[in-house]
Amino acid sequence: MARYGMALDYKSCINCKACESACKEENGILLGADNHRIWVGVNEIEGLFPDLSIGSSNFQPSQCQQCDNAPCQSVCPTNATYYDDNGVVRVNPDQCILCTYCMQACPYDARYIDDRTVTVDKCNFCSDTRLIHGETTTACQATCPTKVRIFGDLDDPESEISQTLRDREHYSLKAHLGTKPKLFYLT
Amino acid sequence: MKTEISRRRFLQGTVALTVVGATAAATALANAELGKEGKKSKIVDFGLTKTQYSDKLQEIPTLCEMCVNKCAAIARIEDGVLTKLNPNPLFPKSRNMLCARGNAGIQALEDPDRLKYPLIRVGERGEGKFKRVTWDEAFEYVKEKMVTIIDEEKDNRSTIGYCAGEGMAEHTYTSFMGDKIGSSNYVNHGSICLATTIAGYTLTLGGYGQADLENAEYVIMAGANRAEAIVTPDTMDMFKRTKGRGSKLIVIDPRFTNTAAHADKWLPIEVGTDLAFVLALTYTVITEERYNKRFAEENLSDFEDYKKHILDHNYTPEWAEAITGIKADDIRQVARDFMAHAPRAIYYQGRRTAWSLQDYQLRRAQAIFSAMGGGVDKKGGIIFGKKLPLGDHSINGPMYDNAQERIEKDKAASIGASGSWIAWRNTIIDGSAPYPVRAFFAYKQNPMMSIPNTAKTKQMLEKMDLVVVIDTMPSDTVMMADVVLPESLYLEREDPVKSFGGAEPSIALRKKVVEAKFDTKPVIEIMRGLGMKLSKPLFEVSKKYDEALQEEIADRGEKEVYDEDGYDLADGYRHSQESINHHMVESVYGEDAWKTLREKGVFYPDMDKFFKKLSVNEYEYYPEHKKSYSIIKGDLNNEPYHDTCVDINEIAVLKKKFRTATKKIACALYNLEKKKGVDAMPTWRDELYTPTPEGRFKFITGRHGQFTQSGTANNALLLELLPENYLWINKRVAKEKGIAFADLVEVKSSVGTIQIKAYPTEKIGPNAVFFIHGFGADSSELTLAHHRGANDNTIIEDHYEKTFGSAAMHETIVDIRRV
Amino acid sequence: MDLSKLVPFNKHTVRSFFDFERSALNIFMFWFSMGLVGMMLAGIGIYLIEGHHAYGVTRQHAWGLLIAMYVFFVVSSTGLCIMSSLGHVFNIKAFQIVGKRAIIGAIITILTGFAVIAFEIGHPVRMVIYNVLTPGLTSAIWWMGTLYGLYLFFIILEFFFLNNANHKFSKIFGLAGLVVGLAAHSNLGAVFGFLVARPIANGVFFPLYFILSAMVTGSYLLFLIYGWRYKMKFPPEVKGFMVTLSQVLGLLLAILMFFEVWRALTAIYGHMPERGDIAIHMITSKNFLIGEFLLGMLIPFIIIVWSKGRAIKAMVYASITGMIGIFFMRYDLVHDTQLAPMMPLKIREYSLPPGLVEYIPTATEWMISLGAIGLAFMMYYAADRFFNLDHDPEESH
Ligand SMILES: Nc1nc2c(c(=O)[nH]1)N[C@H]1C(S)=C(S)[C@@H](COP(=O)(O)OP(=O)(O)OC[C@H]3O[C@@H](n4cnc5c(=O)[nH]c(N)nc54)[C@H](O)[C@@H]3O)O[C@H]1N2
Ligand SMILES: Nc1nc2c(c(=O)[nH]1)N[C@H]1C(S)=C(S)[C@@H](COP(=O)(O)OP(=O)(O)OC[C@H]3O[C@@H](n4cnc5c(=O)[nH]c(N)nc54)[C@H](O)[C@@H]3O)O[C@H]1N2
Ligand code: SF4
Ligand code: SF4
Ligand code: SF4
Ligand code: SF4
Ligand code: SF4
Ligand SMILES: [Mo]
Repeated sequence: MARYGMALDYKSCINCKACESACKEENGILLGADNHRIWVGVNEIEGLFPDLSIGSSNFQPSQCQQCDNAPCQSVCPTNATYYDDNGVVRVNPDQCILCTYCMQACPYDARYIDDRTVTVDKCNFCSDTRLIHGETTTACQATCPTKVRIFGDLDDPESEISQTLRDREHYSLKAHLGTKPKLFYLT
Repeated sequence: MKTEISRRRFLQGTVALTVVGATAAATALANAELGKEGKKSKIVDFGLTKTQYSDKLQEIPTLCEMCVNKCAAIARIEDGVLTKLNPNPLFPKSRNMLCARGNAGIQALEDPDRLKYPLIRVGERGEGKFKRVTWDEAFEYVKEKMVTIIDEEKDNRSTIGYCAGEGMAEHTYTSFMGDKIGSSNYVNHGSICLATTIAGYTLTLGGYGQADLENAEYVIMAGANRAEAIVTPDTMDMFKRTKGRGSKLIVIDPRFTNTAAHADKWLPIEVGTDLAFVLALTYTVITEERYNKRFAEENLSDFEDYKKHILDHNYTPEWAEAITGIKADDIRQVARDFMAHAPRAIYYQGRRTAWSLQDYQLRRAQAIFSAMGGGVDKKGGIIFGKKLPLGDHSINGPMYDNAQERIEKDKAASIGASGSWIAWRNTIIDGSAPYPVRAFFAYKQNPMMSIPNTAKTKQMLEKMDLVVVIDTMPSDTVMMADVVLPESLYLEREDPVKSFGGAEPSIALRKKVVEAKFDTKPVIEIMRGLGMKLSKPLFEVSKKYDEALQEEIADRGEKEVYDEDGYDLADGYRHSQESINHHMVESVYGEDAWKTLREKGVFYPDMDKFFKKLSVNEYEYYPEHKKSYSIIKGDLNNEPYHDTCVDINEIAVLKKKFRTATKKIACALYNLEKKKGVDAMPTWRDELYTPTPEGRFKFITGRHGQFTQSGTANNALLLELLPENYLWINKRVAKEKGIAFADLVEVKSSVGTIQIKAYPTEKIGPNAVFFIHGFGADSSELTLAHHRGANDNTIIEDHYEKTFGSAAMHETIVDIRRV
Repeated sequence: MDLSKLVPFNKHTVRSFFDFERSALNIFMFWFSMGLVGMMLAGIGIYLIEGHHAYGVTRQHAWGLLIAMYVFFVVSSTGLCIMSSLGHVFNIKAFQIVGKRAIIGAIITILTGFAVIAFEIGHPVRMVIYNVLTPGLTSAIWWMGTLYGLYLFFIILEFFFLNNANHKFSKIFGLAGLVVGLAAHSNLGAVFGFLVARPIANGVFFPLYFILSAMVTGSYLLFLIYGWRYKMKFPPEVKGFMVTLSQVLGLLLAILMFFEVWRALTAIYGHMPERGDIAIHMITSKNFLIGEFLLGMLIPFIIIVWSKGRAIKAMVYASITGMIGIFFMRYDLVHDTQLAPMMPLKIREYSLPPGLVEYIPTATEWMISLGAIGLAFMMYYAADRFFNLDHDPEESH
């Protein structure tokens, strides 16, 4: 079994939102403003025309951080949120009581309510649409024009993601919270 | 993995919903936004998308047609239902990607508003009332009208005007309308899109070429928004290397675009003044002697004249600063840096260059400036690459003696075969045409939204005796039609096989991935049907008026003339697209190549050997030494040469034969000046510049990464990413005018008025405003797009430049007020 | 078997059940309560049709008015339980009269709280099942829910034995109820306190504050219950109790204000993002200044201090403002915890950069939440009819 993670070469992101559409099509996400497993954040640009600070408006593609120490998991009263064999943080809709405590606990706003199951949904690294079929990558990775994402097994030292994380500097979001994200931003 | 049950079980049982839910959600969104008037949109229960693989899984390669790029896709089909479009890594041009629109292709297929069967108008034109008819009834209707019109016009075939949007089957249609029907009155996207840059680069360098952004070290992108206006492979190649990762990017744009967000330097420029900027760059490198002298000497014609021209006009950076608003020091710096990186330095050609009255000369100046660095036909510069030949499929077009020349041919210096949309339309309505254009065919184009000054386009269509529109959606233009011929969606048809040139050339195929859902046809079958219906009756008309034909018949007999001279309008369209494609590939590359192409969607010689997956994200299509960077042959010149500014190893030492008249890069085009009065060398002309009066704004238009012009405006998935367009207006100016975010404002020009929500931002200067093109459809049949946001062409004035008749879309001054 | 032997209660016909004194106030309260319950039922109807879309909750603000109202009721319950235990568990003399009335109040308020949360939790039945099958032992909600369930069980038994005048058992279950109630209640505080993602809530404050504010709430409710019971004409022993209650409340309020001051100071000091800014926003908001502080603490406190606890009639009225203040405390607790957006960047192009998360309760939420107060009134009326809730001086020891 693996421990999947994702490294993001976020400097390449052009905010095209191909990843968001691909995720929606792949995973059958209902439309609606709040319904997304993945997003691209943009800082409001700083400065006054024409002296804008280019660096202040980076694009930050993101999704569930697949925390190794996931607050959403520890607060779940029924263990509906669980770590699967691949270390992916998943929600079992049969067990979810929709208390939305996990939505309070997630520091990344990675969760939302699926109106069909009336339970909480989130990125699951395409586990049930791709990985289960033996595919080795996610819909958002595959479709990206500028190839922002590297998906792979963090436990395999030979995997591309492991090598990349060894070779390149990176950071995680809100690392100080101790959530141990498995999404890494390459600098 | 045992933990897969729950979500799967759910999804298996319930199926889909993306699509259904999409409509419901987006409809709710539409209603919420439209507020009071928000009429209940119809929610049609249509196809379902499953999220779970079924046992009957097929993967069919095809090509995307959500925009002009034609990225390679692999369609996942489960039990005959398209459930996902994935990128096909084999295609060098699309580099294993599908953008947001590409992914949203499923929604286009499932769009409940699609045209589903042929229609004939029953109400007034433009009223949008149609009745469903059979294909035969539709063709019959067209025939009746055509025969009458052509008879009345005495076999002047050019009385049938026609337009087409860019697409893989464009030629199938244009060959029918132009070669078979015989009309010269054709307009397409050229004059509203890229005519000036194609012409400027081709006349100067011998070709438009491709910017080798994969290897360039310094790129100036002026008014090309590659992060949002996606062009493959440019978009992918560019942004993997920006931000200090191999390529410097200088963005010149009045707006801070997503491309500017990747720039090393963003220089906002006064709208319409780029020519002054490029001339000043040129002035700088000439006076500082920083250009690639060796390359210039060997490969530029009339270069001494050009230098003199620039110096005589005194195009100094200070002069340009006053016009462009870009600081003289910045201009100097860019000029120096560019040459320091040359020849791996590119002044990006640009794509939609229908901006101003000086566009053509601007593109010439850019091309010459690029060439002065030596980066032409050279890795890291502008390259021409190779194209793999395909076998041919010829169309036998008859000669019509009475068909006349295009009506607007004198409205600009050089109007090509695809015309000047604006001049052509205006010629029809202002009565200056030498003969009437009485019928109009539109294929895959939406002139009601694409051509500046919508009111005039409407007026033109109203004048027609017959309007036939071939589309997939009930567009605003469809609403003006007498006969609507619905084409099958790109996913439902095979299109003509296409060869894609470049450093890594390949051939790719659009294969049908699902059966047509409705009573629609691909355009080749529409042409076949029309051809069969029209051939004989139109031949009879020609026989009446065409003396040359009468003579031929007298000589050779009617049957022979009819059969051999192409009067059978359906010949050439009788075979299936698949068999035509088969022939075109097999005749050149053999049966195996054809098999590969059908199976994989892409073919090029040695693909099996060359194609490699290097990593999760990287693929190699050709080994480095097999890529076609430099293709133009010339003498190799080895003598040592002293050059002041360019790395000796990078000096382009080839003396090349460019595909221009002089076989050299053309600095001066004296012939054009003599014959047509077009400046031989790029010259700034004050009289062609529209200044922006104090307190008013210049309106500019452009793309958004999640939409394709007007064509995707009804797509539920995309609308969710961006529900409507907003007016960009400078934040401080907006504040002065009491305009806050999302306030409704009125934008008024001399030709029209629209209302739109405001987006006050510092990303645009105080005297320009912008909103995304393609929104604000008027057609009430487009449930989601209808009156969502605003249509820019309602307010854009119908100026066109006088060299090629290309639209000048950024010459409109508007007033803004809060409503 | 005669049920009334097991649980002594007054027998009623429908007519006798509604046979209350037709005073203007009573009639008003009758229709007022009916109106509220009707409203709640209507709200529930809308919820059953539209689900969570009937509420103003969003992805960023997933907890709304119903959660606040749930907290409001369960804090009331714990408060009443604690205050009543002062008498019959801890034998503090002045409080010995409160016993039954307070316990029945505690039962009613927690039942009302459960009724409200049943329409907030998406799958309440599933909750009962998986709470047992796959307990989330690291979850404060699991502990809170489980302990509150147990708590309810204990206080029902406590009431049962009180009603049967079985002092031994009522005391045992009273103590059990108190301990479990305190545990449950501090866990409710921990539901917020454990949120590492939300620095404004994270920490030890809420578990403690919840106990303290529960006691304040309990005190206000006792004033109201007794004010209503005696229609402001208090017998001397009740008067004595109420003066003591005032004094205790004065002390509790003083401690509460002291807590709040330090909480604000520690939150603001250093201006830590998502804490300092939120705290400033919080304590400068009208909800806090007028609702929590003025109505919830200051007015009652001034009356107590100024009258040295003797103005018990005024205190009954002040307890109405007090309870309104308590409502604001619960609302602000839920709302302020969610004020800081967890996604601080813009994710849609034409939007303003995310500021503090906004939430406006919908009519449906108001209908269910406020309606629930009517439910509590009705239950109280019924309890009052069926049981003898007054303290029998004979039985005290
Ligand atoms: N997502 C998406 N991609 C597309 C398309 C699409 O519709 N959607 N369409 C495709 C097609 S057909 C085309 S032609 C290309 C178009 O590709 P581009 O030409 O790159 O796209 P536009 O947005 O039209 O570019 C115009 C840019 O020029 C800027 N501009 C306006 N006036 C001036 C000026 O005076 N000087 C300078 N320097 N800049 C100016 C505008 O602010 C805008 O950013 O995109 C292609 N790709
Ligand atoms: N104001 C303003 N005007 C512009 C531009 C701008 O930026 N601003 N951009 C200009 C540029 S660069 C261009 S290229 C043109 C583009 O202008 P158009 O060529 O008109 O392109 P679209 O607006 O995308 O409209 C395409 C039409 O084709 C239909 N269609 C889509 N797919 C198919 C198909 O498979 N078969 C058939 N038969 N129909 C199909 C769509 O429903 C739609 O009605 O617009 C130009 N006009
Ligand atoms: S697909 Fe890639 S480039 Fe586009 S928004 Fe997502 S991460 Fe950014
Ligand atoms: S909403 Fe569902 S997944 Fe989230 S904490 Fe509650 S039960 Fe667990
Ligand atoms: S990002 Fe949020 S949802 Fe994802 S694992 Fe971490 S806490 Fe859970
Ligand atoms: S990994 Fe899969 S589920 Fe997660 S965001 Fe990407 S596409 Fe969506
Ligand atoms: S760029 Fe996007 S829309 Fe255009 S062809 Fe490629 S995937 Fe399709
Ligand atoms: Mo274009």
